[in-house]
Amino acid sequence: MPEFPDSRGRSLFWWRFGGTALFLLAWEVSAFLAGSRLVLPSPLDVLQVFARVSQTAKFWQAVAGSFLRVIEAFALSIVLGIAAGTAGGLKPHVDAFLSPLVTGMRATPVLALILLAMFWFPSSQVPVFSAILMAFPVMYTSAESGVRAADRKLVEMSRLFRVPRHIQLLRLHIPSAMPHLLSGAKNALGLCWKVVVAGEVLSQPAKALGTAMQESRLMLETTEVFAWAITTVLLCGLSEYAFGLLANARKRFFHAMPGAPAK
Amino acid sequence: MSFSIRSLTKRFDSLLVLDQLSFSFEPSSITAILGPSGCGKTTLLNIVAGMIPTDSGDIELSGQLSCSYCFQEPRLLDWLTAEDNVRYALSGLADRGRMEKRIERFLREAGLESFRAYYPSQLSGGMQKRLALARAFAYPAELLLLDEAFSAVDLRQKRELMNAFLNLWKEEKPTVFMVTHDIHDVLLLADKVVVLGPRPAKVRGIIDIPILQSQRRLADEQMSHIEQKLYELIDMPAS
Repeated sequence: MPEFPDSRGRSLFWWRFGGTALFLLAWEVSAFLAGSRLVLPSPLDVLQVFARVSQTAKFWQAVAGSFLRVIEAFALSIVLGIAAGTAGGLKPHVDAFLSPLVTGMRATPVLALILLAMFWFPSSQVPVFSAILMAFPVMYTSAESGVRAADRKLVEMSRLFRVPRHIQLLRLHIPSAMPHLLSGAKNALGLCWKVVVAGEVLSQPAKALGTAMQESRLMLETTEVFAWAITTVLLCGLSEYAFGLLANARKRFFHAMPGAPAK
Repeated sequence: MSFSIRSLTKRFDSLLVLDQLSFSFEPSSITAILGPSGCGKTTLLNIVAGMIPTDSGDIELSGQLSCSYCFQEPRLLDWLTAEDNVRYALSGLADRGRMEKRIERFLREAGLESFRAYYPSQLSGGMQKRLALARAFAYPAELLLLDEAFSAVDLRQKRELMNAFLNLWKEEKPTVFMVTHDIHDVLLLADKVVVLGPRPAKVRGIIDIPILQSQRRLADEQMSHIEQKLYELIDMPAS
């Protein structure tokens, strides 16, 4: 059991444990009532299939393929979203120019986007393109509101002391925007996993979780579909955890002025 | 050559804040603006700093003066330590060695030497104020603007900060423009006092204090006389 620094943390662990246990119990009861693996396999069935599938080369190839697509889509939406959102936050006319596009992207159904992308891109890039279009508006909005969140009085102070623009950006604007950016990036990461796997289900690229999921569905292997879905959930959770660790490391970079003498 | 402010007027929408202010002050002198709360003293300082525009009137300063400002509120970056807050303000200076020496000196003079690695949220309100003052003193400027700089600190620290300020002023002779509502601060520090009335602020009177700061004794007859005149200008009986 993990160690927690205080009793509140320990109490939260037990609440989390209780929630998970209740969910598994409800699933087990539902599977029992359904009475067919084809309709709803039990958690234990899924675990057994997961253990079997995870020992195959196909599993690891699918994990690697989907993971790379998610990273590609996430990195591009972060870069594009932060660049456009920062420009939109600093210059109102840029925001006015981009906002119809961003609103349109936000309102477009993901399936329509994937189907259209299938006309334009090779099957391996369809999920990436669709995920970028879904995650970009999230990052744009986070960056734009983050840039506007910088305290006006601190900006005035920085201008008065003629603090160089790049230092203002690194030490004032980015730390002020950071809570918005981190929350946006976390949402974008989850979105990328969902959209990439959905895109793979439809576009059927080689070495993909979505493709494996679709193949299992065609073979009426409901338990395998569950196993692939759980793999996706676990990978999404793991990447969000890794992202959290990375986000904590940012403090060491942004929360100190360069040039400070060694202590 | 003297600096001057001529017929300066400022409105915020329909609210007239400064009404035709005119006075002059000498380079390398300390000019105090004395007036009741809310009369527009900070607005005047912000206009002199170039942070807000005037509606009409002129400010004549010689060329583009470098400017340092101790704001009424500390305006610190919560995610930087005390010394990094000062370092941030000085980051435009080319001479790193000089910058570090000034940070060291003014943190020490503000009594924050042992709190240099603390974050603003770990400092008391008075310490945050002293840090903002250390930052304003450490930034080498020809024009130093102080907005209620010595308020919100206890008496002993106030005296130490005033000594630190006077040492800095004697060494580097910046032109100082300070805003306060404390007559004793004015009597101890200023070469010239401009008294403003309540909003919309007009100049009620200008008093020169022709005594070196180091030789001032509040109980002296000349200082008492000046104090009396200041109280008359702000419509208050001397205590």
